[in-house]
Amino acid sequence: MSETPESYEAAVERLEQIIDRLDSGQAGLRETLELCREGRELVTYCSAELDAVSEGLEELRLDELAAKLEATPTDS
Amino acid sequence: MDLPGPFPVGRYARKLQEELRRRARVLLVGEVTGISRSKVQAYFELRDAEGAVPCAIWLDDLEKAGLPEGGLRDGAEVVIAGGPDYYPGGGQASPSFSFRATHVRLAGEGDLLARLEALRGQLRREGLFELQKQLARPRLPKTIGVVTAESGAARRDLLAGLGRRGWAGTVVWAFAPVQDRRAAPAIAAAIQELAATPAVEAIVVARGGGSLADLWAFCDETLCRTVAMLRVPVISAVGHERDSTLIDDVAAVACSTPTHAAEAAVPLDCVAARGALERSAEALRRAGEGAVGNRSRHLVALARGPARALRRERVALNQKTREIRAASERGLAERRTFQHRIAAVVLGRAARRAAGAEADSRREALRRAEVAFRAHDPERTLERGYALAEDGEGEPVTSAAAAVAAGRVKLRFADGRVGAKIDRHGESDERDA
Repeated sequence: MSETPESYEAAVERLEQIIDRLDSGQAGLRETLELCREGRELVTYCSAELDAVSEGLEELRLDELAAKLEATPTDS
Repeated sequence: MDLPGPFPVGRYARKLQEELRRRARVLLVGEVTGISRSKVQAYFELRDAEGAVPCAIWLDDLEKAGLPEGGLRDGAEVVIAGGPDYYPGGGQASPSFSFRATHVRLAGEGDLLARLEALRGQLRREGLFELQKQLARPRLPKTIGVVTAESGAARRDLLAGLGRRGWAGTVVWAFAPVQDRRAAPAIAAAIQELAATPAVEAIVVARGGGSLADLWAFCDETLCRTVAMLRVPVISAVGHERDSTLIDDVAAVACSTPTHAAEAAVPLDCVAARGALERSAEALRRAGEGAVGNRSRHLVALARGPARALRRERVALNQKTREIRAASERGLAERRTFQHRIAAVVLGRAARRAAGAEADSRREALRRAEVAFRAHDPERTLERGYALAEDGEGEPVTSAAAAVAAGRVKLRFADGRVGAKIDRHGESDERDA
């Protein structure tokens, strides 16, 4: 993916813009193919985001989460 | 120092007592904390977020107040009547200040609402109602934090609401007491801890319905100021629709039930979103295929165009050629006819001219020509005894080879024709001779 969207809503908003532009019939061949490529990437991203909150509810207690975070080394 | 006195302290203490006791009697409202009793009095502090006063009430007066059993307890919101007092102490006893309550009653809805309105006005003036509402709320959070009672319908309702959204991410529970004012610090601490957890994208504070006194913790000034200043959106679902707590005012979103809070925490209906995404993917696929397909068809049509145009032109050209040829033939014929007509006219004129002065000489020339012609006339030759050999068709046979080839000939004399057979031997005899 050329650029990871800022958020799910940003991705959906851009996707809607792309489809509006394609529906307008005003995009040339090169632009259409570019928009389709970008749109497919956004669909993939959104689909992955939806998958991430569809695989089963996880319930944690705050104290458990704190312990878990402490056990995980931070990136920074 | 140029001041009055020095006065004996005991006398000053009694004067202070007299002055305080002269102050106007008032009603105070606040929460009871640190209650204790002696044989004759009950002591406690009456407190709110801004401050406190130490209070004392004679047990006789307390009894007359007719509070329910255990009514005067820590955490109770009460209204007391009385005024300030000072105990000067004695030889051994310590002096003390207190508000001498002569009557006490539990704070009613009206008292709480009056306090709530005052506090609400203050926080609104400070702009604290707007801060949370300006925060961006993710439409699809992966992790949400929830502050609620460990055992309660709110927890179940919230999970049911999340389930209806088709959302199955991570819920971080921060369980806290949610009853009466003492719960406020625990709730505030839980909210702050959740907000400090990086994964948590939204916080739900949920509690079932109750009286305003039951929900009073959610009107706590410190709690509400804490919520207002957080950078993580807080969704409040405290009490039912008719209940209005201060946390509702400062939160990013106020919901009437935990189910609604679930929908506010996860604004996206995941099931519908997946459907919409599939439609988007289909639209993209169609657009992509259509773009190439339509254009390639167009290109093919364009590519065929010149050939078709050439064919069309060729047909038109042939047609034109035929038309031009026909026209030119017509023109030639007409021109030829015209030329013949002109020639006839010219010859006619010449003939008419000739018929004039040159007529005699022409007549003479004609006569001479007739004589010359007659001299060459074969009939004249025949009259002189010659014969003309002719084939079957009447054409003259002018050589021996032609005579042999013809086989039979006719001999034409001046007086008529006779048949003759060619003798090949005669030919050889002649050759031999």
